[in-house]
Amino acid sequence: MKTFDPVQAAVPFFVLAVVLEIVLARLGKADARYEARDTATSLAMGLGSSIAGALMGGVIFAASVWVYQHRIFTIPMTAIWAWVVLFFAEDLTYYGFHRLAHERRFWWASHVNHHTSTHYNLSTALRQTWTGGIAGTWLLWLPLSFLGFPPAMVAIQKGMSLVYQFWIHTEAIKRMPAWCEAVFNTPSHHRVHHARNPRYLDANYAGVLIIWDRMFGTFIPETEEEPCRYGTVKNLAGFNLFTNVFHEWIAIGKDVVAHPRHALGYLFGPPGWSHDGSRDTSRTLKAKWRARVAREGAGAASTGG
Amino acid sequence: MDKALLIQLLGSAAAVGLLVALAAWARIPRPTPPLDADGARALLAVEFPDDPVDAVWIAADGAGLVARSRERALIAWRKGDGYVARDLPWSAALAAKSADGVLVLKTADGAPRLALKAGEAWPPPAFAAGEAAA
Repeated sequence: MKTFDPVQAAVPFFVLAVVLEIVLARLGKADARYEARDTATSLAMGLGSSIAGALMGGVIFAASVWVYQHRIFTIPMTAIWAWVVLFFAEDLTYYGFHRLAHERRFWWASHVNHHTSTHYNLSTALRQTWTGGIAGTWLLWLPLSFLGFPPAMVAIQKGMSLVYQFWIHTEAIKRMPAWCEAVFNTPSHHRVHHARNPRYLDANYAGVLIIWDRMFGTFIPETEEEPCRYGTVKNLAGFNLFTNVFHEWIAIGKDVVAHPRHALGYLFGPPGWSHDGSRDTSRTLKAKWRARVAREGAGAASTGG
Repeated sequence: MDKALLIQLLGSAAAVGLLVALAAWARIPRPTPPLDADGARALLAVEFPDDPVDAVWIAADGAGLVARSRERALIAWRKGDGYVARDLPWSAALAAKSADGVLVLKTADGAPRLALKAGEAWPPPAFAAGEAAA
């Protein structure tokens, strides 16, 4: 069954937007930085992701159809109210997926490669996973079909959310109007999400609406005092595409083999978890950052600064 | 393979090539001047904010550094227009091999090659003597 794919339809727009961002930056009209090998990795990841998606797409769609056959309600695809409800339900599902993908290592392994660029430009948006299908995060969208939303409708809404998230991967736009920053995910909010500064870790998981982060306590605003530094806590040592795709899976495998008694922790603990506490998680990095800030504050106070 | 899919794939690959070429042509990377003492200090403060620095050695071309922090070596080297940071036991850094003016350090997932100054030996005297130079 062939359904409308918003992501495929938007590819020409993605290409033109990247060209525009590069040209404007070259002319000094936009704030954007591009490094050719970084860009190559991002775009190759995007291309590989679409191939991986095509390979897994049939399985995912078949599972969605099977679940839909056992649905609770029958929701008409032609009703406007159904699209409105699905917009919110899908966006909340995305928030849950995204939080899981950052806070549990098994799912982080498939999502980390979206975050390995030390740049934040429109090409970074296309740096997508190849292993999401294997990680099984698509299962999180099945309850929507079980509720009664047709699988094609869910796929279209999911695609529209991904298309929305393209334009927020930029430094060229500083702040949107206040009402927009309050409700929607914006370049500023998403810069924080991609930052490796301890103060910004594990924040702003939103897809389209930032309200979920505000509701669930994961919202952190971008501040002038600390510009975002992009990438992962421990940036990759090179630009190798396959290292980028598989490094965290390989690291999990090594940890599980080395410490089989702690396999569950290494698989499903937070990224950085270790059985002996020798590594840093986002939580410990934030605690160290808070301690530094407190020390510096105390130092400044004692010297009258 | 479906012909339309193949055309789409080839078109996408061509677009990727053109965009990468455009990014290379534009020459708009992040400015990354060679490291000097101030740059090294700033980089260490970002990458190793909780580690006291006893001594710093900067590569001859300014593309990397090794710092001593008690019994650990803090290492940073250039990757593209940024830096990668790792650490090693201090003894492993001291025992690193150099040849043809290049020091090769072996970290868990990388082997940075850092340029020595002409005639410079590894480890440098400040490190070998365990002096605090920074």
